[in-house]
Amino acid sequence: MELTFYIAAAVAILSTIMVITRYNMIHALLYLVVSFMSVSVVFFTLGAPFMAALEIIIYAGAIVVLIIFVIMMLNMTKEDIQREKEWLKPSVWVGPAMLSAILLAELVHILTTSNPAQTEALVAVDAKLVGLALFGPYLLGVQLCGILLMAGIVGAYHLGRQKKKVIHRFLQERSAAA
Amino acid sequence: MTQNDFLHLMPLLILTFAALIIMLVIAAWRNHKIIYAITAISFVAAFLSLYELQDVQAYAIAPLFVIDGFAVFYIGLILLASLLISMLSYAYFEQREEQKEEYYILLILSSLGACTLVISTHFASLFLGLEVLSVALYTLIAYLRSRERSDEAGIKYLILAAFSSAFLLFGMALVYFSTGTMTFSGIAAAMAGFQELPLLLLTGFGLMIIGIGFKLSVVPFHMWTPDVYEGAPAPVSAFIATVSKGGVLGLLIRFFMEVDGFRYPVLMLIFTIVAIASMFAGNLLALMQQNVKRILAYSSISHLGYLLVAFLAGNQMGVEAVTFYLVAYFITTVGAFGVVAMLSDKERDAELMDDYRGLLWRRPWTATVFTAMLLSLAGIPLTAGFVGKFYILAAGVNTQLWLLVVMLVLNSVIGLYYYIKIIAVMFQQTEAGQEPLQKLRPSILFASVGTLSLLVLLLVGIGVYPTALVSLISSMLETFHPVALR
Repeated sequence: MELTFYIAAAVAILSTIMVITRYNMIHALLYLVVSFMSVSVVFFTLGAPFMAALEIIIYAGAIVVLIIFVIMMLNMTKEDIQREKEWLKPSVWVGPAMLSAILLAELVHILTTSNPAQTEALVAVDAKLVGLALFGPYLLGVQLCGILLMAGIVGAYHLGRQKKKVIHRFLQERSAAA
Repeated sequence: MTQNDFLHLMPLLILTFAALIIMLVIAAWRNHKIIYAITAISFVAAFLSLYELQDVQAYAIAPLFVIDGFAVFYIGLILLASLLISMLSYAYFEQREEQKEEYYILLILSSLGACTLVISTHFASLFLGLEVLSVALYTLIAYLRSRERSDEAGIKYLILAAFSSAFLLFGMALVYFSTGTMTFSGIAAAMAGFQELPLLLLTGFGLMIIGIGFKLSVVPFHMWTPDVYEGAPAPVSAFIATVSKGGVLGLLIRFFMEVDGFRYPVLMLIFTIVAIASMFAGNLLALMQQNVKRILAYSSISHLGYLLVAFLAGNQMGVEAVTFYLVAYFITTVGAFGVVAMLSDKERDAELMDDYRGLLWRRPWTATVFTAMLLSLAGIPLTAGFVGKFYILAAGVNTQLWLLVVMLVLNSVIGLYYYIKIIAVMFQQTEAGQEPLQKLRPSILFASVGTLSLLVLLLVGIGVYPTALVSLISSMLETFHPVALR
C-alpha cells in the first residue's frame, strides 16, 4: 500500500510537470488527465474511495472535457484540423498512455492484494461519511460554496455579455429612444 | 442550525437574501435606482441587526464560526464602509452606460465574504470567505469593460489571486499535516504541545503568510496593487483598499491571537521585515508617481505597514490600535477615492495630477474634502489619521518595538511629501474660474455629496474627540476570546 502511494504521487508530480512544460495545449491536457487520475489513486490509497471516484468524474471527466470544448471552439479552421491530424501521432500519446498504464497496474495490484489487516488501520471515508460531514457540521460551508458559485456566475454573465446587435434601423431607433 | 445560530448570523443572512432578491428583481425589471435602494437598505438592515449582538459573549457556531465582540465590531465596520462605497458607486455608475445592476450583487457578495472572514475559526470557512471575496472582486475590477485598462487589471488580479490561493491552500495542508486539525483552537492546542515548532508547520505558516500577504498587498507581494487600483473603477479601488484588506486583517489578528504566534521569534521576524519593507517601498515608490490613483495605492501599501507595527505589539493595546487605525484608514481611503470618483467623467477616472491642478479655485468644496483626507492620511493633528498613528506609536513603544517605531516615524515624514504635493497642485492658481455647480439630480447629490460630508465630519470628529471610539473599541474587545484569556 505504501509503495503504491509513492508511485502514484511520483506519477502525479511527473505528469503535472509535463502539463506546464508542453507547448501544445492538447498534449498538456492529456497529461492533465493523467495527473488527475494519479491524484485519484492517491486518494484511493489513503482510504477515500469516494473522493477518488469524484476526482475522476468531476475533474478528469467534466472539467477537462469543458476545457477541450473551449479549445475546440477557439480554433476551428481547416488548417487547425489538418494540424490536429498531424498531432495525433504515437509519439504524442505514448507518454500519457504509459503513465496511465502504471496507474492502472497499481490499481489492479491494490484491488487484488488488498489486505484487510492493513485497511483496518485506516478509516475508509465513503460517500456516507462525506455526506454526514457536509450536511452536519459543515452545512454553512456548503451554503457558502453556493454563494461562491453565485458570485462566479453573475460575474461571468456580466463579463461575457455581448452588446445587443441591432438588426433593423427601425429597431435601432426604438432602442435608442428607450 | 438552531434559532440562536440564525440570530447570530443575521447580518450575513440579510446580505445573502439581499443578493438573491436583487438578482430576481433584475430579472423582472432593470432599474438602477431600485437596485441601489435595495442594496443600501440591506446594508443598513444588516448593520442594525448588529444592535441585537452588541453584548454578545463569544458565541461559537462550531466548528466554522464564532461571533464575539471583535467580530461584531469588524462586521459593523465592513458594513458601514460597504454602504458608503455603494452610495458613491451610485453617483459614479449613474453616468456610465454599461449595465450597472449586477455591480450591486457583486458588491454585496464580496462584503459578505469579508464578513465571513472576520468570524472564521476554521480553515474551511477562512478559505471560502476569502474566495467569495475575491471571486466577486475579479468581476468588480473588470466591471467597466469598455475602458482600456479594466481587462488588464481584472486578469492581473485573477491570476495573482488564484496563485496566492494555491499558496494558502498548500500552507493549510502542511499545517493540517503537522497538527491534525483545521480549527484555530485545535492548532493552538497542538502548537502549545510542541517544544519547538516542526519545520513542516513553519513551512505551512510561511506559505499561508504568502497567501494572506497578497490580499493585504504588503511588500513583497504588492506588485499588483497600483495596476489594479488604476484599472478598477474608483469605488471598487476604495473597496479593495478598505473592505477586502480590513476583512483579511481581522482574520489575521484572530488567528495570530488564538495560536499566540507572537511567542515565536521566526514569525515575528518575518512580519517585522514585511512591515518595514512595506512602509519603505510604499512611501518611496509613491514619491515618483504622477497618477493619483497609483499614489493612493502605494500609500495603502505603506499604511498596511503601519498597521503591522501595531499588530506586532501582540497585546490588547496592539489590537485596539490596529482597530482604531483601521477605522481612520477606512474613513480616509473611502473619502479620497470618493473624491476621485466624484471628479471622474464618462470616459475616464480623474487620476492624473493635471485633473487636480487648481481644483481649489474651480471646485472649492471638493478640494477641501480631498485636502482633509490627504492630511489625515499623512497624519496631521486634528484628523483621525493623527490619533490612529499616535495610538500605533504608543502600542509600539509599550512593547519596546524600537526599530519598528523609528521606521514608522521616518516613513511618516517621507509620506508627508507626496500628500503635500497633491495638495500643492490643488492650490495652484489657474486661469479657469470657478466652475458652475453641476446640476445633479437630488438622489445623486445626496449620495455623493452627503457621503463625502459625512466622512469629513467623522474624520474631524474622531480626530478631535477620539475617546468615544476608543471606549467603544475596548468595550467590544472585552469579549474577544483570545484577549480575554490573558
